[in-house]
Amino acid sequence: MLARVANNLFWMGRYIERSEHIARYLRVNYFSSLDAPNQLSQSRQFVLRSMLTMIGETVEDESLILNEEDVLYKIGLDPNYTSSIINNVRSSRENANSARDLISTELYESINKFYHFISNYDAKVYSKNGLHDFTLNVTEMSAILRGKVRSTLMHDEIYAIIMMGANIERATQIIRIINAKHNDALKAQGSYGDKFKNSFEWTTLLKCTESYDMMRRFYKKTPNSISTLEFLILNPDCPRSIMNSLNQVCKHIKILDSNKKPSRNSTAFLVGKIRAEYEFKCIVQIENDIQSVIDNTLSSLYQISQKMEEEFFSY
Amino acid sequence: MVNLENQIFSSYQRNPVLFDEIFDERGQVKEVYSKLFNLYGEHSINDYVNLNEKAKSSFFNQGITFQVYDKKKTQEKIFPFDLFPRIIPPEEWKIIESGAIQRSRALNLFLWDIYHDKKIIKQGIVPMELISSSANYLDQMNNVDPPGGIYNHISGTDVIKHTDGQYYVLEDNIRCPSGVSYVICNRTALKRALFGVFNHYKTYSVTNYAENLLDLLETVKPKGVDVPNVVVITPGMFNSAFYEHSYLAKTMGVELVEGRDLFVENDFVYMKTIQGPQKVDVIYRRIDDAFIDPLEFRPDSSLGVPGLFAAYKKGNVTLANAPGTGVADDKAVYTYMPEIIRYYLNEEPILNNVHTYHCSRPKELKYVLNNIENLVIKPVDEAGGYGISIGNRLSKKEIEVVKAQILLSPRKYVAQPIMSLSVHPTYIDKSESFEQRHVDLRTFTVLGKDKEFVLKGGLTRVALKRGNLIVNSSQGGGSKDTWVLKT
Repeated sequence: MLARVANNLFWMGRYIERSEHIARYLRVNYFSSLDAPNQLSQSRQFVLRSMLTMIGETVEDESLILNEEDVLYKIGLDPNYTSSIINNVRSSRENANSARDLISTELYESINKFYHFISNYDAKVYSKNGLHDFTLNVTEMSAILRGKVRSTLMHDEIYAIIMMGANIERATQIIRIINAKHNDALKAQGSYGDKFKNSFEWTTLLKCTESYDMMRRFYKKTPNSISTLEFLILNPDCPRSIMNSLNQVCKHIKILDSNKKPSRNSTAFLVGKIRAEYEFKCIVQIENDIQSVIDNTLSSLYQISQKMEEEFFSY
Repeated sequence: MVNLENQIFSSYQRNPVLFDEIFDERGQVKEVYSKLFNLYGEHSINDYVNLNEKAKSSFFNQGITFQVYDKKKTQEKIFPFDLFPRIIPPEEWKIIESGAIQRSRALNLFLWDIYHDKKIIKQGIVPMELISSSANYLDQMNNVDPPGGIYNHISGTDVIKHTDGQYYVLEDNIRCPSGVSYVICNRTALKRALFGVFNHYKTYSVTNYAENLLDLLETVKPKGVDVPNVVVITPGMFNSAFYEHSYLAKTMGVELVEGRDLFVENDFVYMKTIQGPQKVDVIYRRIDDAFIDPLEFRPDSSLGVPGLFAAYKKGNVTLANAPGTGVADDKAVYTYMPEIIRYYLNEEPILNNVHTYHCSRPKELKYVLNNIENLVIKPVDEAGGYGISIGNRLSKKEIEVVKAQILLSPRKYVAQPIMSLSVHPTYIDKSESFEQRHVDLRTFTVLGKDKEFVLKGGLTRVALKRGNLIVNSSQGGGSKDTWVLKT
C-alpha cells in the first residue's frame, strides 16, 4: 500500500469516528439536560459550554451569554469551522476518494451517501428542531460505515490502518468526553443535594458513550465517579473503554509490524508499552488525580499517532 | 406524432430529415426496439420522472460526479444520463467491432513505422509535413522500441451513423481516451432503475473491460519480468476523470498512484509503500505526454516522475499508451486512414471515413473558403470538441473570422461535409417528454501483444441541446446505456 494513501485511510478512520462522537455528545447532553435533576445541569448555558469544551473550544468567560442556534450550527454544519461535523465528514470522504481503488464499493457508497445527507441538510431545520434527527442519523450512518469496514474489506494491512485510526480516535474522543463531563461534575457539585461523586453528570457521561445500559448490567448500581471511570477507562470488555481501544490498536499494529520483538523505536513497541500501563492500572490510582490521567492519556495517544506518521506515512 | 396510446411518447416530434434510431421513415417502431418501446410505454410520465430521480441519486451515491465552481461554493454535479438505452443489433456490431480493431492495428503499425524507418513517407503515401509539423510528434521516441511492440494499447474510436444508415468514424482517440467507466456506471444505473427491461433482451455484459485490460497490460510487460507489477497513474483527485482512474485501478486490483508516489533509481521505477520501495513494471498512465517526466518534457510538471522517460527508453518499464501516440490521432492523419489501412494491412477499410478537405492543399483550401456554410471546420490538434465551427450555424461576420483564422495557418485546419448524426429519443427534464437528440458512439479497443479486445457496448453520447451536433461532455453532452445484442 502506498504510504500517502495509508495516511489518508488512517485519517478516514479517524474522521468517521470523530463525527460520530461529536454528534452523540450533542444529542445526549442536550436532551438529558431538558429534565435534569438539578438547576445547573438543566441550564442551557451549562450544556452549550459543555459542548464547546468537548470539541476543544472551552469558553472561559463565565459572563458571556451563548446563543443556542449559533453554537449548534457551529458544531454541526458550519463549513467555515474546521472541527464541525460537516467538515469531519467531508474530510473522511475526501480521504476515501483518494483511496477509492482500495476500499470496497459498498463502503465508498455509504460514505458518499453520508456526505450527501449532511451537505444537503437544511441548516435552519437543524438548529430549530432537527438536532435529534440530524445527530441520530450521523451516529447511525457511522455505525453502518463501521459495519462496512469490518464486513466488506479484507482484514489485511488496509483494514489494520483504518482500524488503527478509528481506535486511536475513539480513545481520544472518549477521554475528551470524560474530560468535559468531569469538568461539568466539578462545576455541578455545589448544587443542591449533589456531590461530585454521585453527580448526575456521570450518568450523562455513560449515555454520551453509549455505555449506560451495559454499565448498569455490570455493576447493578447507580453510576458514580469511580464505577463510571473504571468502566470507561479500564474495563477491557466495554467496547468504548480506553483499554479496549488500546487492545484493538495493539492487535492491528501487529498486522503492520509482524516482528515478535518489535524494535525499541517502532510504533508496535510504543503501543505495547502504553497498553501495558493501562492493563496494570487500578481505579484507585485514577481516582486520586483524574485530571492528570486524562492529560496523560491524551498525550500517549498523540505519541502513537506521531510515531505512525514517522514509521509508515512519511517518505 | 407517433403512437398515441404510448403515453410517454405521445408528444414525440419526429423530424423526417433526420435518421431516427428507433422509428423508421413511416414513423413505425423498428423491430429491434419494439419490445423496449412497449415496456417503456407502460410507464406514465410521472413514473418516469421518479425513475429519472432514482437514477440521478444512484450516480450521486456512486460518487460519479464532477465539480462546478461558482462564486459561493463548489457544487457537485452528475453527468446527465438518459434512461432510454440505445440498442446495437449484432450484425451492425460486427462491422463496428472489426472496423475498430482494424483501425487500431493499422495505427499501431503506422506509429512503429514513423518512429523507425518512415517507409510510408519514403514511399509517398503520406506527406512528411503531416508528421514534422505535428505538435504531438516526439523526437525522443525515434528508434525507441516499446515493450511488446505496442503503442496504442487503448483506443477510443468515435463512430456516428449518418442519414444513409451507415457508420462513419469521426475520430480515433489514442492518447488517453476516457469514458469507459461511464459505460459501466450507465449500465449499473439503468439496472437499478429499470431492471425489468433486461429480461426481454439478451445483452452483452460490459463489466469485463478491466480484466481484459489487465490481461493486455501483462502481455506488454518489460523483458525479464515474470509477474509484472501494474499501476495506474493519475494527475490526482481533482482531475475530472479521477473517478475513472480509481475505478480502473480498483477493478483491475492494482495500485492507483500519483507522480509523487513514484521515483526512479538506476533507471528502474519504484513506488513508495508503507513497507518501503516496490518496483513498478507497467504503468497505465492517464497523464498527457508533456507532463510525464519533467526532465524530458515540460520542466514545470509536478504530475510526472523525474527520470521516467529514461527508464522507459531502457525498456525497464512499460507506458500505456506509449509517449508520442498523439501524432496519429491528429485530425490531419485521420484523413489518410484509408490509405494507412491499405498500406499496412493490405485490407479495405471496414468503417467509412468522412471525406476531408486539407486546408494545407491550395486547391482544397480554395474549396473550403468558398463553401464554409456547408462544412465543419476543425482544428487538427484539439480534443474535447474545442475550436470546432459548424458552417451553417455561423453568421456572415463569423464566417469571415473563421476564414481569416484558416488563412493564418492552413495546416492547422481541416474541413468535412456536415455529417448528420443519427437521433435517439431522449428524455428532456425541462419539457418532461421525449425528444429527438443527436448521438454518437465511442468504442473502446485494447491492443496487446497478439491480443485484442473491443468492449461490447460503448459510450453513446447525446447532445442535449436541441439540434446540437457536439456530444462531448465538456460541451454539455449526456450519455445513454448502450446494448450490444447477442445473436
